[in-house]
Amino acid sequence: MQPFDYIVPHNFAEASALLMAGNDDTRPLLGGTDLLIRVRGGFIRPERIIDLKQLPGMCDIVRSAEGWLVIGAACTMNQVAGHPLVRQEYELLAQACESVASYQLRNRATVGGNCCNASPAADSAPALYCLEAVMEAYGPSGVRRIPIHEFFTGPRCNALRPGEFLTGIHLPPVPSRSAGAFNKLGRTKIGDISIVSVAVWAEAGSRKLEAGGQSKHPERVDGATRTAADGQSKDAERLTWRIAIGAAGPTPLRAPEAEAALAEDASPEGVARAAQLAAEAARPIDDIRASAAYRRGMVAVLARRGVNSVLARLGAAPSVVGGQP
Amino acid sequence: MNHTIHFTVNGEPFTLSVASHHTLLQVLREQLVLTGVKNGCEAGECGACTVLMNGEPVNSCLVLAPEADGATIVTVEGLAHDSQLDPLQEAFVAAGATQCGFCTPGILINSRALLDRNPDPTDAEIRAALVGNLCRCTGYIRIIDAVKAAAHAQREVQP
Amino acid sequence: MSQPAGKRTVIGASPPRIEGREKVTGAATYVDDMQFGPSLLHGALKRSPIAHGRIVRIDASRARALPGVRVVVTGEDFPGLTGLYLKDRRIFALDRVRSVGEAVAGVAADTPEIAAQALDLIEVEYEELPGVFDPEYGASPEAPIIHPELASYEVVPFVFPQPGTNISNWFKVRKGDMAQGWAEADLVYEHKYRVPHVQHVPLETHVCVAQQNVNGKITLWSSSQSPFAQRNLIAKALHIDHSRLRVITPYVGGGFGSKAGVSMEGAAVALAMHAKGRPVKLRMTREEEFHTTFVRQGLVAILKMGMTKDGRITAMHNRFYWDGGASTEYGVNITRAAGYSGTGPYYVPNIHVDSYCVYTNHPVGGAMRGFGMPEIHFGIEQHIDEMAHRLGLDPVEVRLKNCLKDGDETLTGMPMHPTGLSECIRKAAAAINWGQETVSYSSTKRHGKGLAAMWKAPAMPPNPGSSALVRLNEDGTATVSIGGVDIGQGALTAMAQFAAEGIGIRVEDVRVNTVDTDYSPYEWQTVASRLTWSMGNAVLRAADAARTQVLQAVAEAWDEDISDLDIVDGQVISYRSEESIPLKNICIDGVQRKDGTFVGGPVVAQGRFMPDYVTPLDPETGQGPRAVVHFTTGCQAVEVEVDTETGEVQVLKIVSAYDVGKAINPELVRTQMEGGAVQGLSTALLEGLILDHGVPRNPNFTDYRIATAVDAPLETENIIVEVPQDDGPFGARGVGEHPMVPTAPAIANAIYNAVGVRLDSMPLTSEKVWAALQNNDI
Repeated sequence: MQPFDYIVPHNFAEASALLMAGNDDTRPLLGGTDLLIRVRGGFIRPERIIDLKQLPGMCDIVRSAEGWLVIGAACTMNQVAGHPLVRQEYELLAQACESVASYQLRNRATVGGNCCNASPAADSAPALYCLEAVMEAYGPSGVRRIPIHEFFTGPRCNALRPGEFLTGIHLPPVPSRSAGAFNKLGRTKIGDISIVSVAVWAEAGSRKLEAGGQSKHPERVDGATRTAADGQSKDAERLTWRIAIGAAGPTPLRAPEAEAALAEDASPEGVARAAQLAAEAARPIDDIRASAAYRRGMVAVLARRGVNSVLARLGAAPSVVGGQP
Repeated sequence: MNHTIHFTVNGEPFTLSVASHHTLLQVLREQLVLTGVKNGCEAGECGACTVLMNGEPVNSCLVLAPEADGATIVTVEGLAHDSQLDPLQEAFVAAGATQCGFCTPGILINSRALLDRNPDPTDAEIRAALVGNLCRCTGYIRIIDAVKAAAHAQREVQP
Repeated sequence: MSQPAGKRTVIGASPPRIEGREKVTGAATYVDDMQFGPSLLHGALKRSPIAHGRIVRIDASRARALPGVRVVVTGEDFPGLTGLYLKDRRIFALDRVRSVGEAVAGVAADTPEIAAQALDLIEVEYEELPGVFDPEYGASPEAPIIHPELASYEVVPFVFPQPGTNISNWFKVRKGDMAQGWAEADLVYEHKYRVPHVQHVPLETHVCVAQQNVNGKITLWSSSQSPFAQRNLIAKALHIDHSRLRVITPYVGGGFGSKAGVSMEGAAVALAMHAKGRPVKLRMTREEEFHTTFVRQGLVAILKMGMTKDGRITAMHNRFYWDGGASTEYGVNITRAAGYSGTGPYYVPNIHVDSYCVYTNHPVGGAMRGFGMPEIHFGIEQHIDEMAHRLGLDPVEVRLKNCLKDGDETLTGMPMHPTGLSECIRKAAAAINWGQETVSYSSTKRHGKGLAAMWKAPAMPPNPGSSALVRLNEDGTATVSIGGVDIGQGALTAMAQFAAEGIGIRVEDVRVNTVDTDYSPYEWQTVASRLTWSMGNAVLRAADAARTQVLQAVAEAWDEDISDLDIVDGQVISYRSEESIPLKNICIDGVQRKDGTFVGGPVVAQGRFMPDYVTPLDPETGQGPRAVVHFTTGCQAVEVEVDTETGEVQVLKIVSAYDVGKAINPELVRTQMEGGAVQGLSTALLEGLILDHGVPRNPNFTDYRIATAVDAPLETENIIVEVPQDDGPFGARGVGEHPMVPTAPAIANAIYNAVGVRLDSMPLTSEKVWAALQNNDI
């Protein structure tokens, strides 16, 4: 690697100022599993690398007062996948994180870095789209929150502004009756970059968080705290579905038509129709990993398998799956 | 620019001046001459450079040298104690799990971490845990057998 | 051998590999682990970004001026041609580049960072030329000529370049009467098969260190399968005396053929010759390894066969177009091997084979495990399967009917030696429960079985030699020096077994040296699965000579007949007088006679082996009495599960059965079978270098995937068949390469059996299976 300097900032403001001053010469470091490969390959030539891992909260997973789960941007994939709160309530995210590369790589790779790199194939992203994550950034104008679907803006492009960096990923509380399934297809059986991936999520009732729509800041999410959405409402059996697709478009994508169709009809025929709608929502390309046609076909297969898996889990253990008792 | 780091490697404390852009792999191989740690791809894909960092396996090619400040590192050279081989090392020789030997150090380290967190792994768990260690010689079957044998031997000693 | 057969204890036993402890403790030293101190220079190569073009101008002045840069060399510094069989390339391109990644200049600098900066400062101006990216096109008259000087290149007598074309070798077989062969057939079937370039992927990339001392002597520490061939080729290319070039090869982190011959090592020596005594290290990055050392050549095979309705093969007309790349180290000989093996392991009366090695603007083809056989068997073994199905015949029975048996004439007219091929086919079929349908547990997961047979001869010149030295030490242990390399296959252990058996000591008491051409005896190369057979013979002869030296001295001192003496577990014993003496007491200082004087002395013995019976073949017909030393034969049977929705293939079981003549170390034989099968699986399902007008699109592990622990079969079974080789040590013949030869067609046949689609191009990706299923509603 060509020489660069390594800097550990003392606080958020210093980190932001260093990134602001450096432009492209300065790169933030979380796990480094993508950054260092790009430096070594000569694709980028930073003069300074700012290690953000030691800033307060960056490596913590905590429950906020409002009941949201806050994952520090520098939490590793293994840390997230193994965290009790993630496993109990956001197991979909654990599935996605555990599907990334290898065990030893997941000890360095971070969920925040996975999102900031903004690869369309980022495996944590479809899960975070389904969970309607809110990304929190710190920058020259202070703290800013960005819904996940606005965070990804294109292949390797994210919504961060100059001087901004990701500090955390906020997950809204989920009703106890909920379940998710993450499926991906790679060339090797485990750990490959996804040819396509599909995350499927279903939860009881409606949280007024429209599919693909505006998410609210944690403080202002309506009635979405753990107690309020506990599966007690009248329409508990009406499911809200979310489907997100990875590696089949310039960014991860939601499949709102498929989601709406499932809410109306989750019979085997309805599931097949929804899977087809998910495939139609994909915007895949041909590349060295797969053709667009194969990707589109596989979105349908993985979506159907995901929906069936979620239905099985919800059916198997109503009212406890995916949530705390 | 250089940084001074303090860290522990195979039980011994070291203070080193390291270059910012060097990796932990380079520091171990070039400054400490722990050449059992192998360089196979420098991209976190092959696992030959795997070491334990604070008890967990990492690709040392993807850790910057200054990031290792304060860490506890174990390399393949640190697996045996007082010339008593680790059960994994014994099992790898006995099972024919090493051929050219280049991937072996990384696989031993990663397997050590697996047995530390799961003393009785299934076949599928062993295979999944070793996905990040490429081997071109053995076809993996003997490696999986050796990890199982070592797990068994270890349980015999420490039930 | 003079020993009674009954006392063998080491041959056929499976001691663990003798260097195992070093390898599991990190103590085993590979080239990159050797320490050269702060004077070490770091080499790097400037590479062509284009596939084909004229070099208009090279300006290295800015690189030379960069502080810390010690050497910059270009093609003008070393204009000589080099090559193993056909001298068609230079260490650095001189006037023309012929592939992306070809070296045009080299630098050596104080740090790798400075070397990398220096490369950026070398300016090269190219004039692009039209390229050749397909071997069939390359062989056609329309193709631009890549080597206009082909007529002037030096070439060995058994390679036939076609000047004025891109064909660097054309091997022909003409046998029987084709018209009659087609007339006798009830089914004639022709099909084209494609095999992409694949890479060997040794976990240790190519690395070497070169240093020239004040006397002009050069030492090359090299991760190599061919230390002696490297010495020979580099000495000739750089006009150095052989005795002034020393090649040292410590442990090698995998080779699979890629480290045979010379790739980047010549550049390191060239840099060292200008480095004023400083050592220069050149280590390939993984990206460089993928396309600038060697690749396995791509192949287009057009096969046409005739078969009677009872399954007898009547004729084969097979054409092989090898994508040899920009120059040919081994490609011309792979082409030859494919030609003289071009029917597969079958008796065929009427044969027409053309095997063409074609220059293209692709990476340079080298030797890879199987040496052309995995590539040609991919088509042949599917073709036979397909014809059997079309005729309603059992593919196993068809193979048994046609496969070569003792005395059958091969396609080159050589009588087949005793072979266990039929036994291998039967045993592999039985082990996979051939003929029994397996239950598919899900409507979208279909199971299928497939089988493929193979043959392969050591592909080499007619007379490659081996030699060995055995020395006994004061403690009665033996030190064995050899020129062959343990690249993971277990050669050190097998040689220790030969030496132990030959001398009469325990295998633990044998040390086998790694190679140093100044001290090790000559060995041609570690290729062709020939060490156990050829080097084994040399070691056994040396060990036997050492034993004879000891026993002659004892016989004289004790006044006994040598035939009454033996060495058992390090003790010299007399069966007549029942006297005994430890070997260690006499193997240096000799034996004391009754009068107090001594006889004998330090035991140092040599042995050598060279086949002296291989004959030339007629260049027009490929016919001759003895084309090769022998063929190792075998068979694999696999069971797969195919996901009909995604096209994913899970290999459930691989059965391997090979006739190894005699398994010297059965466990090492089985590990070769198992490792080869998984390498075969990996190339079958996953691998292929993606080349876009010569530019590699996936030269990294991210996008060139190889099988991992989860992709390996759930179960393997490894069956050893032993039909002895007449000139093999204890009857042994090699099995290093063979286990990956039939894997890909066996898997392809199993996929066909599972879901009814036949895939004629590798790799057999999920997407290809899926796409075929879309057109083939099942």
